[in-house]
Amino acid sequence: MSGKKPCIPAESEDLLHGNRRDFLKKTSFLTAMALTPGTVVKAAEEQWDEKIAGVFEKVSLHIDVNGVKHTLSVEPRVTLLDLLREQLKLTGTKKGCDRGQCGACTVHVNGVRVNSCLSLAVTNEGKKITTIEGLANGNELHPMQEAFIEHDGFQCGYCTSGQIMSAVACINEGHAGSEAEIREYMSGNICRCGAYPNIVNAIQAVKQGGQS
Amino acid sequence: MNQFQYVRPAQVPGATKAITNGANTQFLAGGTNLIDLMKMGVVAPEKLVDINNLPLKKIEGNAGGISIGALASNTEVAEHPLIKANYPLLALAINAGASPQLRNMATVGGNLMQRTRCPYFFDTAMPCNKRMPGSGCGALEGYNRMHALFGASDKCIAVNPSDMNVALTALDATVHVSGVKGKRAIKISDFHRLPGQHPELDNTLQKGELITSVDLPASPFNKNVHYLKVRDRTSYAFALVSAAVALNIENNTIQGARLAMGGVAHKPWRLTETEAFLKGKPVSLDVFKQAAQIAMQGAKAYEHNKFKLTLAPNTLLQALKTASGLKA
Amino acid sequence: MKKETIGDSLSRVDGRLKVTGGAKYSGEYDLPGLTYGVLVPATIASGTITAIDSKAALRAPGVVAVITPFNAIKVPGYQPEASTRVKGLKLFNDNQVYFNGQPIALVVADTFERATNAVSLVKATYQAQPFETNFNKNIDKGVSPQNNKDYLRGEAYAYKNAPIKIEQEYTLPSEMHNPMELHVTTAFWTGDDNVTLYTKSQGVISSQRAIANAFQLDPKNVQINSRFVGGAFGSSLRTWPHEVAAVQAAKMLNRPVKLTLTREQMFTLVGYRPHTVQKVGIGATADGKIVGISHESHSQTAVYEEFTERSVNVSRFLYSSPNVNTVYKVVPLNVGVPAPMRGPGEATGSFALESALDELSYALNMDPIELRLKNYADVDEEKNLPWSSKYLKECYQKGADSIGWSNRKAKPGTNNDGEWLVGYGIGCGAFGAYRSRSLAKIKLMPNGTVNIQSATSDIGPGTGTSMVLIAADILKIPAEKIVFELGDSSFPVAPTQGGSATVSSVGSAVHDACVALRQKLNSLAGKPENNTDDIDYAKVLTQNNLPFLEITQESNANEEAKKYSMYSFSAHFAKVHVHPLTGVVKVKNVVAVVDAGKIVSYKTARSQMIGGAVGGIGMAMTEEAVFDDRFGRYVNGNFADYHVPVNADIPQIEAIFINKPDPIINPIGTKGIGEISLIGVAAAVANAVYNATGKRIRELPITPDKLI
Repeated sequence: MSGKKPCIPAESEDLLHGNRRDFLKKTSFLTAMALTPGTVVKAAEEQWDEKIAGVFEKVSLHIDVNGVKHTLSVEPRVTLLDLLREQLKLTGTKKGCDRGQCGACTVHVNGVRVNSCLSLAVTNEGKKITTIEGLANGNELHPMQEAFIEHDGFQCGYCTSGQIMSAVACINEGHAGSEAEIREYMSGNICRCGAYPNIVNAIQAVKQGGQS
Repeated sequence: MNQFQYVRPAQVPGATKAITNGANTQFLAGGTNLIDLMKMGVVAPEKLVDINNLPLKKIEGNAGGISIGALASNTEVAEHPLIKANYPLLALAINAGASPQLRNMATVGGNLMQRTRCPYFFDTAMPCNKRMPGSGCGALEGYNRMHALFGASDKCIAVNPSDMNVALTALDATVHVSGVKGKRAIKISDFHRLPGQHPELDNTLQKGELITSVDLPASPFNKNVHYLKVRDRTSYAFALVSAAVALNIENNTIQGARLAMGGVAHKPWRLTETEAFLKGKPVSLDVFKQAAQIAMQGAKAYEHNKFKLTLAPNTLLQALKTASGLKA
Repeated sequence: MKKETIGDSLSRVDGRLKVTGGAKYSGEYDLPGLTYGVLVPATIASGTITAIDSKAALRAPGVVAVITPFNAIKVPGYQPEASTRVKGLKLFNDNQVYFNGQPIALVVADTFERATNAVSLVKATYQAQPFETNFNKNIDKGVSPQNNKDYLRGEAYAYKNAPIKIEQEYTLPSEMHNPMELHVTTAFWTGDDNVTLYTKSQGVISSQRAIANAFQLDPKNVQINSRFVGGAFGSSLRTWPHEVAAVQAAKMLNRPVKLTLTREQMFTLVGYRPHTVQKVGIGATADGKIVGISHESHSQTAVYEEFTERSVNVSRFLYSSPNVNTVYKVVPLNVGVPAPMRGPGEATGSFALESALDELSYALNMDPIELRLKNYADVDEEKNLPWSSKYLKECYQKGADSIGWSNRKAKPGTNNDGEWLVGYGIGCGAFGAYRSRSLAKIKLMPNGTVNIQSATSDIGPGTGTSMVLIAADILKIPAEKIVFELGDSSFPVAPTQGGSATVSSVGSAVHDACVALRQKLNSLAGKPENNTDDIDYAKVLTQNNLPFLEITQESNANEEAKKYSMYSFSAHFAKVHVHPLTGVVKVKNVVAVVDAGKIVSYKTARSQMIGGAVGGIGMAMTEEAVFDDRFGRYVNGNFADYHVPVNADIPQIEAIFINKPDPIINPIGTKGIGEISLIGVAAAVANAVYNATGKRIRELPITPDKLI
């Protein structure tokens, strides 16, 4: 479905009244009439209300991803993770469980690390998202990226984006004071290849280098 | 996940009004629990009221105590200087839960509302009275290793999974809520409920009520505290058993104690009789061992959680030892 | 300019792509008209599907199709099998349900969200049949697998007559591979007889053959891409039924279909280390000489397919014993079929054997290392062949020194560090060193750069890095001038990545191709064929007016190898702290010592050893998939409740390599480390827990409840 179809601003007070089905039957039907009368009227007659809902139940979203501003129209059920991967084609952020249980999807929202799989995209209205693709400065890698290469903080590479985003945050938060503290504050990122000791070493190296 | 309507009011009255309109409506805060449940098909709201724009994030000292806005993130609470200084038990408990990312997202109000991790609740292909009243309790004669020792019913033996709630319970928190009928304050011990015949109800909130803040009274328990969480791996796992211990010790005598356990009941399990026992007693291993036994009165285990009859008092004993600084 | 050699510590050649998010995995290719497939799981454990109502799903926005056994096109290669024990699972081919969670339909929609939601709208009705998922209840129904013979050397059950004997049962629950990347297949057809897949595969050539067989295509018309694989550990050794289903759906819809499993589905559809109960008997003389070993194993398998592994084999040769007998049986249940999981059966078997040996050491009042030395196998007594190389004694010594074995107290429960009990343990293992036919193509460009291609895969060990080091060593050019490409079925044939054989097989092909290239260049430069002095490659090409130089080389196992028994060996050491009140275990230190022949790529090999140790700690401490046998469903089929180790569980881990080349197996002398890195770890941890507490845990994982 095209993102150019009408979409609903989430703050619209009109939506606070009446239930969803009524709203759809009134609003979308009328709007649809104006757009493509023939097909939609036919659809409505055949009670394809779910099909119509698919076109019109989108919400507007303004979001800054890695410094690029996007104006989008998305279904409210789309997570930030799926928005990044499937719509913005930023596949560096990974899906490992889709339920906040592995950390592969970790990104920074306004500088804070979160699990993007449990964040609805629309709740990020006006926010700044940083993903692994936005960490390097052009061709110059972020020190944490360099340290992960140097200390071999990964094998298959699939948890790596989340690990690095978490590692950068771990230092920024002030939770890289000791090996034990790093381990605890990196425990929201599962690595099945078992690169944990190397990840800890990479973070310590960056911490000691005074950079993050 | 089903399609739903999404609104984002800016003020509390708009939010409570929005949730009262329509049958199947839920507030969305951090989303760490609700979005998970929606993905699993455990809940399927027709409308979500995103409350993240509401002005409920402040953490501020008040007459002797502290008021924590319902939308303050778990991290913001655990890292707040006033919390660290005056309520270290709460910071310890929060940091024992989930992961840094989840604590950055999860809110205080949301954590209070956190639903059980019982596998039967999460799997729509198996019975669960909490998810579908009348379908039966899958855990009662099923896999119940993580389940309750206290206050369960034949309808539900699930436990409250939160760590934060255990500390809030020990610290006598008050939950402030706002609804279309006005505001009220609920003592934390009255906020969560036991399953009884209605396990579908986790708490005593009325329809449309929104948690606005959690207040803690002034507390002398800022030194001899410990939160001990025993789990199947070192971090990022739910408690088998946890113990929140806050002691007020003067001259090696316990002036007062605040104790609660997690992972043992449908609500955070306050140990008032054990607290009474400890009051006026000297700090000693023998006293703590007796306390741990008193705490277990009335415990009832199931097929797979019998180990908790030993682990729970041991965990409490160890937490008492650590909190008091007792050696050996 | 630095010229790297075999054994160097080179950073991963694909490191930059992996730390920038630039590495593309199979679910990350953007194709025009892409659709999303999500499987609908059965909610009964046995029976037949009588009807599937897709009306509501089809009415939902964006839904393109609901593919079911009642409307799917036939997969031409799905023929009835002669044997019911290997018939396999053929999705949408009939209406049979063999296990709970088996896919009964595939929803395809224009977005992931819409497909996922429509899954909940598909309603199936069933004719349910009785089923069994309870392993212990059905263990008596164990059968000998079709291609498996029980083993006997000397007298069976001879241990029973020994003066000192151990007879115990060891249980391993089912463990899930759980690679971080969800299994995903993107398929699209170009014409009636040409299909392309981006799929999570450990072997693009084997995937190509499987898809070609299923759809009766010329393998040349099946293109498999799997350039980056987000972990697999054995779960992508075979082509799974859902991969065929993705190709089937793409054919029906004439659109690209991306089918991704959910994490929950990863517990039922892509294999696991099977629940196994092993009985081990060991008998010894009073001075510790083993006189008999008996090892019996029962593992679960699926009712629709027999899965076997080598859990008992390690007992036949790891220690010298005149009498050995092994028995291996499988128990068919209404479950998904298992698959080899890192270390595979050898890791399972080693847990039992090495635990029993530890028990024997305490019964003998003998140091566990001394007991192993006393029964050191100087030849392979199973095959009656000499070892191609074996440095296990050196492993014992180096590991003992490094972990501080001298601090171990012989009497359990007597070593304290504050409130914590301290224990030390050892666990050993062996894994066959394999080599199979492999090809590699090498292309030298006029600018002096080299491109090498081979249709192998890399699931994380650092295959490209190893290959680049081999090439750099032989060609004597810097690693940065060499590119190694893999994961593409159009490249020269290479074996599936598994069984620790990639460097041995593909590395040999790269080695041979590089040697051939050097010989060619020497001859073009007018030098002797075996010249090892530097040559200016670019100049040789220019002088001979060649735009490039390309050689494809085939490499095979040598005949000489048949005269030897070839294994990698490991000795793992663990130090643990146990809290007696709460049963909490902290693994404080692990030392992993391995005799794996020559180490090609030190940095990535070390990481692989660490990773294996982490896997072994998971096996020992946290991992267990739990069924509710009333429903035949897992109750912990997710990453929150199935516990793989997290960072806080893992200490610094020391990897030590003997690093002596094996003279027989291949020109480089490597024996493989992927599997051996895990084999023996679980026993080392469990034995350390015993040493700390005096509690012998014979049923993994060692969770706190078992120690209070």
